[in-house]
Amino acid sequence: MFKKLIDNAAAKSPWLFHINAGSCNGCDIELVAVLTPRYDAERLGFKLAGTPRHADIVVVSGPVTVQSKDRVLRTIEQVPDPKVIVTLGSCPRSCNVFKGSYSVAGPLDKYVPIDVSIAGCAPKPEAIIDGLALAAKILKEKREAMK
Amino acid sequence: MEFTDILIYAVYILIFPGALFTCLFGLWLAGVDRKVVARMQKRKGPPISQPAWDFLKLCGKETVIPAHAARGVYLAAPYIGLASLIVTVLFIPLGGLQAFSTGADTVVILYLLTIPTLAMIFGGSASGSPFAGVGASRTMVSIMAYELPFILVILAVGKGMTPDGYYFTFSLEQITNVQSVFGPNIFDWRLLPAAVAMLLVIPCEVGQHPFDVGEAETEICEGPLVEYSGKPLAVFKLSHAIKMFVMTALFCALFLGGITTGMLWLDVVLALCFCTAVTLVSMTLLNAISARWRVEQLFKFFWTVVSGLALASLLLVWFC
Ligand code: SF4
Repeated sequence: MFKKLIDNAAAKSPWLFHINAGSCNGCDIELVAVLTPRYDAERLGFKLAGTPRHADIVVVSGPVTVQSKDRVLRTIEQVPDPKVIVTLGSCPRSCNVFKGSYSVAGPLDKYVPIDVSIAGCAPKPEAIIDGLALAAKILKEKREAMK
Repeated sequence: MEFTDILIYAVYILIFPGALFTCLFGLWLAGVDRKVVARMQKRKGPPISQPAWDFLKLCGKETVIPAHAARGVYLAAPYIGLASLIVTVLFIPLGGLQAFSTGADTVVILYLLTIPTLAMIFGGSASGSPFAGVGASRTMVSIMAYELPFILVILAVGKGMTPDGYYFTFSLEQITNVQSVFGPNIFDWRLLPAAVAMLLVIPCEVGQHPFDVGEAETEICEGPLVEYSGKPLAVFKLSHAIKMFVMTALFCALFLGGITTGMLWLDVVLALCFCTAVTLVSMTLLNAISARWRVEQLFKFFWTVVSGLALASLLLVWFC
């Protein structure tokens, strides 16, 4: 009985941790817009966590620069299971306009498996909420698969 | 001790007003707080059950123990804090229903209430993270900041009991009894500054915005909680919710006590309504309208303005 409750809770309170891996700041601002009164992602239980240890969903934006690569991977490793990795914008999937630059080590899927990608440069807040809701669903599935 | 006595105490400790009820009501208060803050900011806000879902979810997460943490203290700290909070509830009269009573309830409560905060400091320091170290030292400052006005308020209420200023008490039972004769303390003009001071002490003791310097998530990554995850973190979040209940219940006992309708269950329900109202006035309102304070601002504010208010009350009841 408790297991079922806890599994359901996973989808209802996903806490986000946002990593900026060399993003141009466009995506970051859109993510913040999602939390403002107009879109209010908190009504679905989303909350920005201050530390990776509290997070369930890791949101990565930016093309993963050489400088940020190790830090991104280390931060993702610090998130306790079950966790879901979401890429925000085109950058982490394809490096976007930064492709071919000497300072870019991306795309992110070279290093870690990605669960949800939200496309766009920058994605609309509606698209971000849609992607995060999908991530919450995947989080629940991962939780059910545990133990 | 008879068997029925033991049974009654077991019910007191485990169900009402002890562990089970305290947890549920605390989570409910936290949910109301979040919902009302959201409505004040013109948001729809999370459902009132959100803190309960957060708690359950954290129970289902992996517990990571940092390699250089002191394992024992790190894992025991949250449970010690929770246990001492539940014990505190047993000493606070809830609409006339007090599970345990001593001659000096307020002193016992004063000591018991520091344990959860100390547990957080110890747990944080045991995690070995520098962020937690900074958070622990900031939490220590905030304890010192609110403890002085808190003690002054308790002294003022204990002294201001009767019109002829005859006796002085630390017993919450006696405070409630006198209030049922002379009316709630909040209507006594001499104690009004103390009530305001107490309303400001509540959010600081609970660690609520704008006085949450120790857990500033945007500056020091939630301070002492930085390394916690899974069940210990869930227990810390639960303690935070229960603290809201404990502090508001204490306020009701000190300032809104002695209101009786003649039926015990109705009194208890009334007391719980008062708790919710006090939560909204003292925590939610401040939370919604202000930004976090700096450490030294907080310290100065509590040792000048808030302590001043409490001291004014103390002098008034002593000499008027
Ligand atoms: S996807 Fe576009 S908006 Fe987002 S970080 Fe990359 S370049 Fe900037």
